[in-house]
Amino acid sequence: MSRAIYWISLSAGFLFLVLPLLVVLPLAFNDSSFLNYPMEGFTWRWFGVVFHQPPWMAALMNSLKVASGAMVAGVLIGGLAAVGTMLAGRWGRLVLSALFISPIVIPSVVLGVAMAYAFGRMGVSGGYLPLVLAHAILGAPLVFLSVMTSLRGLDPELERAAASMGASRWHRFRTVTLPLAAPGFLTGALFAFITSFDEVVVALFLASPQSQTLPIALFSSLRDRLEPPIVVVALLLSLVSCLFIVVLNRLQKRSNGRR
Amino acid sequence: MASLEIRSIDKFYGQTQALFDVSLSIGKGEFVTLLGPSGSGKTTLLKILAGFEGVSSGTITLDGRDITTLLPETRNFGLVFQGYALFPHMSVRDNIAYPLKVRRVAKGEIDARVRAMLDLVQLARFIDRKPSELSGGQQQRVALARALVFKPDLLLLDEPMSALDKKLRVDLQQELRAIHQTLGTTFINVTHDQEEAMHMSDRIAVMNHGRIEQFDSAFTLYRRPQSRFVADFVGKSNIFTGELVPGSAGLTFRGEGLAVPLGPADRAPGKVDLMLRPEDIAIETDPPGPGRIALPARVLQATYSGDRALYALKLDAGPEISAWGTARSGIHPEGAAVLACFAPQDCTLIG
Repeated sequence: MSRAIYWISLSAGFLFLVLPLLVVLPLAFNDSSFLNYPMEGFTWRWFGVVFHQPPWMAALMNSLKVASGAMVAGVLIGGLAAVGTMLAGRWGRLVLSALFISPIVIPSVVLGVAMAYAFGRMGVSGGYLPLVLAHAILGAPLVFLSVMTSLRGLDPELERAAASMGASRWHRFRTVTLPLAAPGFLTGALFAFITSFDEVVVALFLASPQSQTLPIALFSSLRDRLEPPIVVVALLLSLVSCLFIVVLNRLQKRSNGRR
Repeated sequence: MASLEIRSIDKFYGQTQALFDVSLSIGKGEFVTLLGPSGSGKTTLLKILAGFEGVSSGTITLDGRDITTLLPETRNFGLVFQGYALFPHMSVRDNIAYPLKVRRVAKGEIDARVRAMLDLVQLARFIDRKPSELSGGQQQRVALARALVFKPDLLLLDEPMSALDKKLRVDLQQELRAIHQTLGTTFINVTHDQEEAMHMSDRIAVMNHGRIEQFDSAFTLYRRPQSRFVADFVGKSNIFTGELVPGSAGLTFRGEGLAVPLGPADRAPGKVDLMLRPEDIAIETDPPGPGRIALPARVLQATYSGDRALYALKLDAGPEISAWGTARSGIHPEGAAVLACFAPQDCTLIG
């Protein structure tokens, strides 16, 4: 009985979640300019198109720049918020946590409109800065959450031990808390990066033609013409995400091994 | 010469009082254990000494200097935790060097002192290991080295052995005692294990419900407990409730079917408890000589442990008691009729 449940749930999950994604990917190698089965032959041609024809490489570079910037800003903001929140009392912690996580709850369309309007008013529309800032706001709560998890998992006696040996609050933070919470910061940084890298809604509102990111390029070429390069880009993005999951897994194993 | 003076400490958590008028005077170089069941306040007292908790009233002085409100990092007390609290991201060397680096000791001296401490706890081979690569006993010895390397004025040990198995515990007790004698630092240990307390300490403060019941050497606690709680908590004991009644030959204890002539005693008649340790009772089948008291009893249970046997006896007069008996020529079976014999001078009056 339990075996039947196991196989049914497994195949249902596979059919529903994974198959629709996998079915598209072989078309990246299809020797036809239509996204249609049956495939007409195998080719690497579309990869060449992606690597050499606009807008793909320029968009990729934009995405990398924006995601890196958003990651750095997100780690700083989210990390500091988490450290500060840990120092607060029980109720303070609850309230501050809710506040710092709130950007996740607000629909990204609303955020996009609000930020486009706000940045326009301030005269910083166009270019990378608005995108980086907006994506930092989206990434910071993720950093906040993962750093909080990391800090909460620390044995409070370590801090006390350091205190009993004469270390000041700042010294304890620098030599004990921060190094031990590093996996949390790294996980958060990865999340912030990938969030920005995949983000399309807010970017649509804020990107100028020069700062167009990869998801936007994907989105607009989907509207213009359905061609295999889109699938190539999708395949590449999926590979990046898989890599990300592997790295995350490694990180978690390492921090678990320490305890 | 008292070095650490704890004077009338009260501690409240909201409405609950955790410590009641606790006073202790601990000499320099003494090995003192705070012994008590969980909830007795011993850990609270240790946290207050370490500076992690404040007091509601009372003072603590060290060599005449008031340290009641000092922060933990300015007290210069070593601290050993139940869970070791070694820094997992640092090697054994860096763990032990930590307090010295905080104090900006010169590099060469740090190295020398770390090595000297590791020699003392016999872990020199493990200097470059990470804590996770050491056993529990080794980790606790590293923690000990780390807490002692900066020559603290006081070493506080918070149930340091409770995570270790029995054999390791006994080894570490001896080692701790030896280190204490080598260094001459004042040690204050917290435990609920009365054997551990008796093995290591110069004096033991028995705590119960936030109060100090008695502060004495292990011998005095065991032979002359001042309260029923101490008699019960430290070692096995049989306690009879009754009263002292005056007679022609001095006072006699009467209660629970027992009559023990105590001779002329320097105390007033009235209600009292009488304690009798299981090893002071001999189990006989023939009536004993004069001066000893024999109580007829039946064996409820006998637990053989090779060198001797622990008997649970039901006295014909009612109460159940426990007694150690010799086991050289076998043990008395369950239900056997025996005599529980003891001398009146081995009894202790409590209260």
